[in-house]
Amino acid sequence: MSRYRIPGMGRVDPAATVSFTFDGRTYQGLRGDTVASALLANGVHLMGRSFKYHRPRGVVTAGSEEPNALIGTSRGKGRFEPNTRATVQELRAGLTTESQNKWPRLSFDIGAVNDRAYMLFSAGFYYKTFMWPRSFWDKVYEPFIRAAAGLGKSPTEVDPDSYAHRNLHTDVLVVGGGPAGISAALTAAKSGARVVLVDENPEMGGSLLSDPSVRIDGRGSWAWLAEQLSQLRAVGVRLMTRTTAIGYYHQNFVGLVERVTDHLDQPPHGAPRERMWHVRAEQVVLAQGALEKPLVFDGNDRPGVMLAGAAQTYLNRYGVKVGDNAAVVTSHDSAYYAAFDLVDAGARVAAIADTRDSVRPDLLDAARKRGIQVLTGHTATATEGRLRVKSVRVNPVRNGQVGAGRKIACDVLLISGGWTPSLHLFSHTKGSLTWDADSRTFLPNHKTEACQIAGAGRGLWGYGPVLEDGVKAGMAAAQALGRSAEGSDARVEGDRPGTGSSQKELPTDRSPGKAKAFVDYQNDVTAKDIRLAVREGMRSIEHVKRYTTNGMATDQGKMSNINGLMIAADALGKEPPQVGLTTFRPPYTPTSFGAFAGYHKGATFEITRKTPIDPWAEARGAVFEPVSLWRRAWYFPQAGEDMHAAVARECRMTRASVGMFDASTLGKIEVAGPDAVEFMNRMYTNPWTKLAPGRCRYGLLLGEDGFIRDDGVIGRMSQDLFHVTTTTGGAARVMNMMEDYLQTEWPDLDVWLTSTTEQWATVALNGPNARKVLEKLVEGQDLSDEAFPHMSVAECTVAGLPARLFRISFTGELGFEVNVPARHGLQLWKAIHDAGQQYDICPYGTETMHVLRAEKGYIIVGQDTDGTVTPQDAGLDWAIGKAKKDFVGKRSLSRPDIVAPNRKQLVGLLTEDGTKLEEGAQIVLDPNQSLPMTMAGHVTSSYDSVALGRPIAMAVVTGGHGMMGKTVHIPMPNGTIRATVTSTNFYDPTGERLKA
Amino acid sequence: MTTQRHEFDPTPFLVEELPWAPRFSLRVRPEHRAALAGALSLELPSKVGQRSTAAGTEVLCLGPDEWTILAQDADALTTASSAAYAQIPHSLVEISDREITLRISGAQALTALTTGCPRDVEAMPVGTGARTLFDTATIVLWRDDRQSFRIDVWRSFLPHVHAILDQVLVELKSGL
Amino acid sequence: MLLIHCPYCDETLPESEFAYAGEAHINRPADPSALSDEEWRDYLFIRTNARGPHYERWRHIHGCGRFFNAVRDTVSDRFLMTYEAGEARPDLTVKEAAE
Repeated sequence: MSRYRIPGMGRVDPAATVSFTFDGRTYQGLRGDTVASALLANGVHLMGRSFKYHRPRGVVTAGSEEPNALIGTSRGKGRFEPNTRATVQELRAGLTTESQNKWPRLSFDIGAVNDRAYMLFSAGFYYKTFMWPRSFWDKVYEPFIRAAAGLGKSPTEVDPDSYAHRNLHTDVLVVGGGPAGISAALTAAKSGARVVLVDENPEMGGSLLSDPSVRIDGRGSWAWLAEQLSQLRAVGVRLMTRTTAIGYYHQNFVGLVERVTDHLDQPPHGAPRERMWHVRAEQVVLAQGALEKPLVFDGNDRPGVMLAGAAQTYLNRYGVKVGDNAAVVTSHDSAYYAAFDLVDAGARVAAIADTRDSVRPDLLDAARKRGIQVLTGHTATATEGRLRVKSVRVNPVRNGQVGAGRKIACDVLLISGGWTPSLHLFSHTKGSLTWDADSRTFLPNHKTEACQIAGAGRGLWGYGPVLEDGVKAGMAAAQALGRSAEGSDARVEGDRPGTGSSQKELPTDRSPGKAKAFVDYQNDVTAKDIRLAVREGMRSIEHVKRYTTNGMATDQGKMSNINGLMIAADALGKEPPQVGLTTFRPPYTPTSFGAFAGYHKGATFEITRKTPIDPWAEARGAVFEPVSLWRRAWYFPQAGEDMHAAVARECRMTRASVGMFDASTLGKIEVAGPDAVEFMNRMYTNPWTKLAPGRCRYGLLLGEDGFIRDDGVIGRMSQDLFHVTTTTGGAARVMNMMEDYLQTEWPDLDVWLTSTTEQWATVALNGPNARKVLEKLVEGQDLSDEAFPHMSVAECTVAGLPARLFRISFTGELGFEVNVPARHGLQLWKAIHDAGQQYDICPYGTETMHVLRAEKGYIIVGQDTDGTVTPQDAGLDWAIGKAKKDFVGKRSLSRPDIVAPNRKQLVGLLTEDGTKLEEGAQIVLDPNQSLPMTMAGHVTSSYDSVALGRPIAMAVVTGGHGMMGKTVHIPMPNGTIRATVTSTNFYDPTGERLKA
Repeated sequence: MTTQRHEFDPTPFLVEELPWAPRFSLRVRPEHRAALAGALSLELPSKVGQRSTAAGTEVLCLGPDEWTILAQDADALTTASSAAYAQIPHSLVEISDREITLRISGAQALTALTTGCPRDVEAMPVGTGARTLFDTATIVLWRDDRQSFRIDVWRSFLPHVHAILDQVLVELKSGL
Repeated sequence: MLLIHCPYCDETLPESEFAYAGEAHINRPADPSALSDEEWRDYLFIRTNARGPHYERWRHIHGCGRFFNAVRDTVSDRFLMTYEAGEARPDLTVKEAAE
């Protein structure tokens, strides 16, 4: 048994010893311990060094609000986590932990020199210290700040754990499994409501776990608790422990993080480390209790100084005596009960110093009976002890005058500055708070959500009132759901009522300017810093917070905000509510990225869409590229080929004989109905009325602002049916845009849209031998140029499959696109590949497609256009139905800035020295102008062209259409490149090959 | 305290890919719904989410003017549609290959769906359906029984949905 | 994440099934060519940016697919009501009086 463990106390399992290490040394704890309770059981208080001054620090709390005891934990490769709170991490076999912020070791730390240089590190020191000389910034200041900033070490390896996600809908969500939450949950559940009760601790019970002496309904509180939990289970309440409500969002949407495996010795295979729950509740009950505040005085941060409530928890819940000889400084009744429990468990309490002049007689009686000296009307002015507190200096305060101090020896100092209702989640909802002058604390006021607040969160104290309040909250939630609920009051014996007050820093007889009286332990902010911030002009608490960093650490000021406010208000001579309270924001406690990512990691990081032909490409060793959510075959390298060689071969073979391409990702929309042609006329720039069934046309889609949104070939299958194709990335957007116009602007049209992108698999065949390959496979359609000229479409049979066959080209070669039902896509691909063998058919990827289309000057929407390009800019005037009275975007084509001269226009570029330009490179007209140069445009597409034997490029250039044959300049790091402006139609400008 | 209680379940739920079946998207103005239903010999429910089944053909109302039809006799349906078109303008588009259907069934089928569906699947009555989301993929969800569902997923989104369900299966098998 | 009532499905559903679609009650002019440049500019670009009740469009894109209108308070981010596309802009004072 460890030195400070008390047999027979606590809820840990005395028979189950668990070994773990801290800074390389092995310790024994018990099953049910946290790292903090196990270290305390071994007499270890020193658990870390502070952030700024590297002061030795011990654990101050027993919960998730812990600011000091932040440790690194590890359970094997990739499973290191920094900044784990030792008060939350449960012991598990083989757990390895280490302290942070120390070098070379925790007990002797070089960085503690900062502590000696305390006067230099005052509020706003970053703003003041690193201002000059400017040349110091890169070499000295920034490396220093980066090295010093932050807590703990970031993990460097990939996280091997899995994380899970759930959506949960419930009638009532109760946050907090203490007495109020349990009563509320049971009351609501008995009305028949679906209830979820969550608590961040490993077990339900809240403060009851630390108060076993209280009797409820004639039973000990722990027996009562066990019985309540079995009742909750019996009525179907979902009990979730180790589950933190991290954020409370609109309409009762609450985020929960469940820690599933971090406490297990051997997590079962497949179990996720954490699980994020998105809960939607009709009613929320917030029963989060209250958080104890420290008192602010010189030396209130030494190891061994801890909150009185924490000491009570360590004793009763973990059977750990935090010290042999305690002293207490308090401004709240609750610390007395901690002292009583310690004495009853065999520890000595040297004295209780109470800042208040009068204390409840029954508390004084109970103290006297236990031999505890009570010093009312006292302040604490100092502590001693380097790595562990040795004594506290207390002084009487009479009429505002601090009298002579005396030293009280102790090995642990319990402090209590009163309690703050835990209203973080309530604040997430923008619920307003009201200042309660009596208790000097903020209480919930106006609610914005359908929620109830119960128990200590409303400033109530003692089990009787809190249990009653929980029942009321449960009834209110049930009634809001239209259910009738009954509640019964619990009978509490040996209750522990209490009052207290909030304080600024305690009065002292020494120079306050020299006091290291900490307000925010985690960010090392002292009372002096806050007063300095006010002196230097900070008036709002928001400014004080940012200037001092008070409350900006990972604990979000759970312990420091109210103390900081008290001091700032005093310095400003105002009441606290006039100074204001900073906003709490989610998450309530630090949350792993894994919990947010859930299943979105590795192969399911995001959706990867694949075509039916993808497996063939993969088997052939294709290299893929992502195109929106799709992965597409980029090129098909053969043995020994790099990308350049593969693409050159694919281009050459396609133009020489025939190539095949998987075009399945193109968006497809079936436009059907009697008004289909009218709809097409209104949506697209082109005229559609005279397009005969069996023919197709390039369609251009604008936004109402006149800029190009999408394009694609559109076939008229019959009088009332169009087969529309869109770009790969634009499919969903175009469908949405069309539905928008149809539903909201033209609901009178009898036409319907159906996405058929994935109904069809599409194979494009291009090259002089395309027809010869296809002819072998097609039934029911004469493919001759006379019967099936360029821009035709027909339904027929290809390779025995029902098909929609287009004669179109995106390469400038004789071209066809075959659509078959998607499940046959691979079969079609293989059939064409087989049939093409005698012509050396060449499968090609998106890169070759891009090169071949660029040789013809065909644009890629989104590459050669960027949302500011009009049809005229792109040289696509011919696609506009000039006779049409209206279409989407038509009016904008006569807007003044659209018809203005010198817009950026799409042109071709040929470099004089044969250099391949970089896409995105900027273009200037005069390379000798002074800096910064006037940009005249940029390169949008650039490729090595096999057909032309040289690189080609497309670019948007100011007034480019009027600059044919002129020279522009592209400044690059290695010199300026000269290029000649040309047409974008580089290859076969008369289009003879198309008509073959 | 309970720290290590695992409830092992060898098959929390089952995911089966259902065989190809003829599927159509039917669109018609609500005022022509009844007439078209008569012409196609179908029951077209008028409320979003409602289903009908007759002679092996299943219909699900996905929107005020949209139905998904799992047709027993596709030829008869298309023939009847063509015949009715002149009198009752509508759109009938085959989408048999657009989606692939998974059946998800078993004791924890509902739990499996709550990993990806934001809506309250538990509250969805048996015998209804809806278009909704699973993770980031649009799906059509059919509830056939308390613990038996079908989801229609666009073909290229299926591997992602399937991969997540596989992860969930491993997770549920762990008992935690 | 908000809850949105789809007037077509008559169900209140999570926001992730929906997509925002801009301000409501901005009708495309019947004859855009009759508009001056300034009028057309206003149609294209000028929006209310309301503080308080805002009339806006949403689409139940992962659901019934319908565009519909909503009144949402931009301060509280709360939906006051939703209604079908094509319905007249509701008079909120009447609605408040009814409540």
